[in-house]
Amino acid sequence: MKKSMVLLLAGISMSALLTAGCANKEAVKKEEAVVPPVSVEKAVPVAPVEQAQPVEQTAPVQDAVASAVSPQEAMSPVAENRLETVYFDFDKSDLRQDTRDVLSKNAEVILKTLAGAKIQIEGHTDERGSAEYNLALGERRAKSAQQYLTTLGVKAENTSVISYGEEKPAVAGNDEGAWAKNRRAEFVVVK
Amino acid sequence: MKIFLVLLFLLASSASLYAQPGYIEVTAPGNRQLKMAVAPPHSVDVSPDSASSGIASAVIAFDMNLSGLVAAEIHPEQPAAKGFPLVAVDFVPWLSAGFDMLVRSEYSLKNGRLTIEFRLFDVINRKLITAKRYLGGAKDLRRISHSFADEILLALTGEKGPFTTRIAYVSTQTGNKEIYVMDWDGYNPLPLTKNGSINLNPAFSPDGREIIFTSYKRRNPDLYRRSLSNTAEVAVSRRKGLNITGKWSPDGSKIAVALSKDGDTEIYTLDKDGSHPTRLTINPALDLYPSWSPDGKQLAFVSDRLGKPQVFVMNADGSGVRRLTISGSYNVNPSWSPKGDRIAYSRMTGGDFSIFTITPDGSSDTQLTFDGSNENPSWSADGRFISFSSRRSSGGGVYVMRADGTGQTKVSQGKGKHSQPVWSAR
Repeated sequence: MKKSMVLLLAGISMSALLTAGCANKEAVKKEEAVVPPVSVEKAVPVAPVEQAQPVEQTAPVQDAVASAVSPQEAMSPVAENRLETVYFDFDKSDLRQDTRDVLSKNAEVILKTLAGAKIQIEGHTDERGSAEYNLALGERRAKSAQQYLTTLGVKAENTSVISYGEEKPAVAGNDEGAWAKNRRAEFVVVK
Repeated sequence: MKIFLVLLFLLASSASLYAQPGYIEVTAPGNRQLKMAVAPPHSVDVSPDSASSGIASAVIAFDMNLSGLVAAEIHPEQPAAKGFPLVAVDFVPWLSAGFDMLVRSEYSLKNGRLTIEFRLFDVINRKLITAKRYLGGAKDLRRISHSFADEILLALTGEKGPFTTRIAYVSTQTGNKEIYVMDWDGYNPLPLTKNGSINLNPAFSPDGREIIFTSYKRRNPDLYRRSLSNTAEVAVSRRKGLNITGKWSPDGSKIAVALSKDGDTEIYTLDKDGSHPTRLTINPALDLYPSWSPDGKQLAFVSDRLGKPQVFVMNADGSGVRRLTISGSYNVNPSWSPKGDRIAYSRMTGGDFSIFTITPDGSSDTQLTFDGSNENPSWSADGRFISFSSRRSSGGGVYVMRADGTGQTKVSQGKGKHSQPVWSAR
């Protein structure tokens, strides 16, 4: 049952990925608006068998779009679409005012519509600095965001963190425009 | 892969021709660099395989040139040698061509079985310095040739070369970061992981037969261990949070690693099966990237406890922490030399990294790379070379250089980006 839910969600995420792939790279961040909101509750009913088919057909396309991400990894970041990504300054993990504002919105969404859901916070860095130090820095960012959500009433046991350091940039590029978009924490509903 | 090494039995009277270690003073300043001729092997077969012949001389010339000890040149026998006399070499043409040393060899390749004998001569004094005979398969030719290059270094310096060792690294050849291993000169690249996830920071066991590395294959950066000859991967540490930058202790009994299970990233030692974590660093900063001193008594590591990442040194029980790097605002990737005399690291200035080395007491801080961005230095087993990853206009990948920064040469081959090289012990 859980599996079929993932497949259904993956089917929807496929279209999101394809949309993002057709548009320019800027669309990566904006894709939330394109995808119809999917709440966990709606997805729970067992998906009809036919639903599985598009997933298989589009799987290679997905690989091409998200080349650095394994299919398994790409399937899950689906239901986070109402949780906004937050951004950080270079080599910093403290929360800027705009970051706090977004975290407050995220906390509201979690408390209202995702009560009981497990949310993984992914910490990321830009490509500068050493890859190993960036793993630790990414985790520090994810934990900053996690702590702030906790102070806003989100249960700590419902959140977890993972750091990808500089390994999964949101956008390609070697300038401050790209770096600023990559220094981030993303929120993924894992179950 | 097994190579049978047979010492050449010489006549008792010629035993004195063997040199004492350190026979040629090659490192004295101001000396003219000695010239070595590497003659393509002479075949005893009826229909010789000319490709094999070229490989042996190319491997030895490459190794010797990179060593910096001699200037090696592939040079055909003049006139073409007839047979392969044991000692009676006509040295006159080699002398007049300006060579100080000569490598000759003779091989036979029959039904995939290779027999090859190498001899190193002192042209000036007209004597044999060392000789070895090897038996193996046709595919072992590169390895056998590297092995004789090791012997040449032993004869010239008293210490064997590192030319039969290997370098593990991360390659994006398949589109994902996977662990590969290659010969030190970049040949025979072999993928170890094929899990399609993110795999990082390989490190060799002291016997060179196993590696540990971090993989996201189970959706967390966990530390795994595997042998080079077997695909089975065993989890060493799958603790909550980061399990990164693992390094085997020199005696193989422990693994130093950065874990974040207790909050922020700290350095621990584990038994080699991953059990019994002992926490070494205790502070609110990030502590990671441990590198053992060769006697196993100390660890260099990276910490941002003073704001920006710097290299520190501590005793292996976590006591006696001191800052090592004073200059530069961002110093990472410490790697302790196998002789214990220097620590290599990389420093970021203006977005690009350069490789430096420094003594363990913090003196003689020396910049080795000036081109592009260069990271993750790792020493060869004899301390003669440093491997590192580079991004530079002449081509990125895994490079090797001498410990003084000279002879920077790209060695990794194939598609994708190659990074995080680490050199095996002997």
